[in-house]
Amino acid sequence: MPAKNKIIILSAFVLIVCLSFKNTQDTALFTVPGNFPKPAYQFARNPLSADGIELGKTLFYDAIVSSDNTVSCGSCHQQSAGFTQHGHALSHGVDDRLTKRNSMPLFNMAWATSFGWDGGVHDLDFFAVSPITNPAEMNESLGNVLEKLRKSEQYPAMFKRAFGTEEINSERFLKALSQFMLTMVSANAKYDKYMRYEGVELNETELAGMALFKQKCASCHSGELFTDFSFRNNGLGGMTDDDKGRFEVNQNEGDQFKFKVPSLRNLSYTTPYMHDGRFKTLEEVLAHYASTVEKNDFLDPLLSQNGQLGIALTADEQKKIISFLKTLDDEDFINNPKFAETTLALSIPKRNVELDVMPFKTKSVKVKEVLNQGIEVYLKMKEAIKTQNTGSAAALSERLPKVLRKIDVSKLGKKEKVFFISYLEKVTFNADHIIEGEYSAEHQADHFNELSKYFYVLIASFKPNSTDLYYHRCETSDQNWLSNKAQEVLAPANCSTIKTIKL
Amino acid sequence: MKKILILLFCAISVAQAQQGGTVNIRFDHFVGSEVLNLDTHTYKNAAGNEFKVSLFQYFVSNIKLLKKDGSAYTVPQDKSYFLIKESNEDSKTITLTDIPKGVYTGVSFLIGVDSARSASDISQRKGSLDVAGEAQDMYWAWNSGYIFVKMEGVSAQASSSNNVFMYHIGLFGGIGVKKTLNNIKYANVSFGKEPLKVQSGKNAPVIVLIADAMKLLNGPNKIDMAENPSIMGGPFSTKVAENYQSMFSFSGFLPPIKAAK
Repeated sequence: MPAKNKIIILSAFVLIVCLSFKNTQDTALFTVPGNFPKPAYQFARNPLSADGIELGKTLFYDAIVSSDNTVSCGSCHQQSAGFTQHGHALSHGVDDRLTKRNSMPLFNMAWATSFGWDGGVHDLDFFAVSPITNPAEMNESLGNVLEKLRKSEQYPAMFKRAFGTEEINSERFLKALSQFMLTMVSANAKYDKYMRYEGVELNETELAGMALFKQKCASCHSGELFTDFSFRNNGLGGMTDDDKGRFEVNQNEGDQFKFKVPSLRNLSYTTPYMHDGRFKTLEEVLAHYASTVEKNDFLDPLLSQNGQLGIALTADEQKKIISFLKTLDDEDFINNPKFAETTLALSIPKRNVELDVMPFKTKSVKVKEVLNQGIEVYLKMKEAIKTQNTGSAAALSERLPKVLRKIDVSKLGKKEKVFFISYLEKVTFNADHIIEGEYSAEHQADHFNELSKYFYVLIASFKPNSTDLYYHRCETSDQNWLSNKAQEVLAPANCSTIKTIKL
Repeated sequence: MKKILILLFCAISVAQAQQGGTVNIRFDHFVGSEVLNLDTHTYKNAAGNEFKVSLFQYFVSNIKLLKKDGSAYTVPQDKSYFLIKESNEDSKTITLTDIPKGVYTGVSFLIGVDSARSASDISQRKGSLDVAGEAQDMYWAWNSGYIFVKMEGVSAQASSSNNVFMYHIGLFGGIGVKKTLNNIKYANVSFGKEPLKVQSGKNAPVIVLIADAMKLLNGPNKIDMAENPSIMGGPFSTKVAENYQSMFSFSGFLPPIKAAK
């Protein structure tokens, strides 16, 4: 073969190789922020595509992954809370079972080297199996999830768009979820803009806080991710053998009661803090490091230097550090529509609660009276939620179950009795959370949505109301509420379609 | 043209020489000297526990056929992961194809899944390793890795609330910064005086091995269900792994059966 031909063939080959590389990774889908290090995730084995990300996002928000189709990834990882759950120390899975730990915020997953508070999963692609199969979370088997997806109307086509054929298997399912999670990059906080010289300056207090932070916190919360991804014991008191953290993964005696050093980005949205969600405010967290670190056999040496426990921090220094930490809040991230459920190309069919309504239509005057009192309390509670009057919402939530309990269940028919007790429990569960969430309007709103759903089914089943009632349900979010108005918008609603049912 | 014909001829002869035989391995499950019968039969271990077995299954991987001279034929990785389940008769006979012709004196394999595959990416987890499929109940999601050997059952002596005992043994040593216990064990089974001749063709010999579930309990370490009704990821799991390391033994060969095409 003449040398010239060889060169032509070789060049063609090089060109093809180059082009194929170009095709495997569309840079617009994932970019490394200017101030960030190289990601840890091996993108070559799971090249991102717009369709793959869209599929992952749909799966993320679809409760089909849980055994009773009620809990999605998005249930415990809410965007407005930096993808943890509003105000929940622990989260609830199916049947309101409580998890062992605080749900971790999700962002910058491409840089993480291990996942979960104990780092038991080493690869993002395998993480989702854990919550899906955990009895206290989705309580489902992965095989069954795939079966449900195969039988669904929309997923086979979505898998085809993302991966070329309609086949739905574990690899594709997990890779799609990873694709979406990898795009969740949070790097647009005030701090980032300052670091990238984007014309944003930190004020004097923030700069002082940053200097203090570097001196006193950055040995663990290091780098632009604000974590060294290590596992440490930070001297929290009252730890029990129920949760020994990292030790449960590696059985290393020295690793007892150690948990992952979390990132410190988006702290304003991710309250509460620590693996068990024990602290509600950053002030409490800083106060812990300054004065309540407890000595134990596994305490990190950095928190026990020169015979001093904790970190030497004056009240003023704590304040300055907190103002610096707030520069790590990335509002663009928590508001970015590309991560929101509302921007799904194909919205997930919502469970139709109307199907749960029973045709009881009570004739008992007493039952009608009590339920009407309940409606009255509910409507006041709605006003309190609407105006974010958290104290009043909590007080009314305490009252609602009390009112409903005035019904003498022994007077109800057998079916009615079972139904009433079950819905009273559901309403009470959420009312309790509205009380508990007095410090967080978002937490209250989440539980108000749940409560409204159950209260609607209860009321629509017994039909005690003499005046008109309306059930409004947003088709693109979890928002739903009862009202005495035929048209009503519950601020801050950003709902494009509202369905209204007259009771 | 002549050259090409010669090349073609050579290629065909090489392919023919390389065309190997097929070998089956059948795993017969026992508890001590008795055949394992799920849920019906009661057995007794050295600690004096009387128990019934409801589930017995394990991974076999990285199979090697051993030769007299100390060399071995290693079954290619992708054809070397099997999940053997007492509850699934078909799973108890595995078929190895393209085994080079020759005389083999024994077989060795890993009881479980090797660390490289346990840490591999999701595209490497097909067939018996599919975490949504066959391996669904042999995988720890929270501490990512496979369960190597799993035995469950009931015993009046088991000190759990419902008299259930559960032995789920796994852990491959971890990956990167995540170090875990390492319970990887190899079984090494000799065919004794009678070696195995592998010939090319459709007749596949069957190697019958015995897997003795009692060995989990009665090995170098005596397991008492009263003290340890549940053994999973904790340090005690190494004791059970040390025990089951010797659970396989050679039973004999069966006359060749017709291999599937």
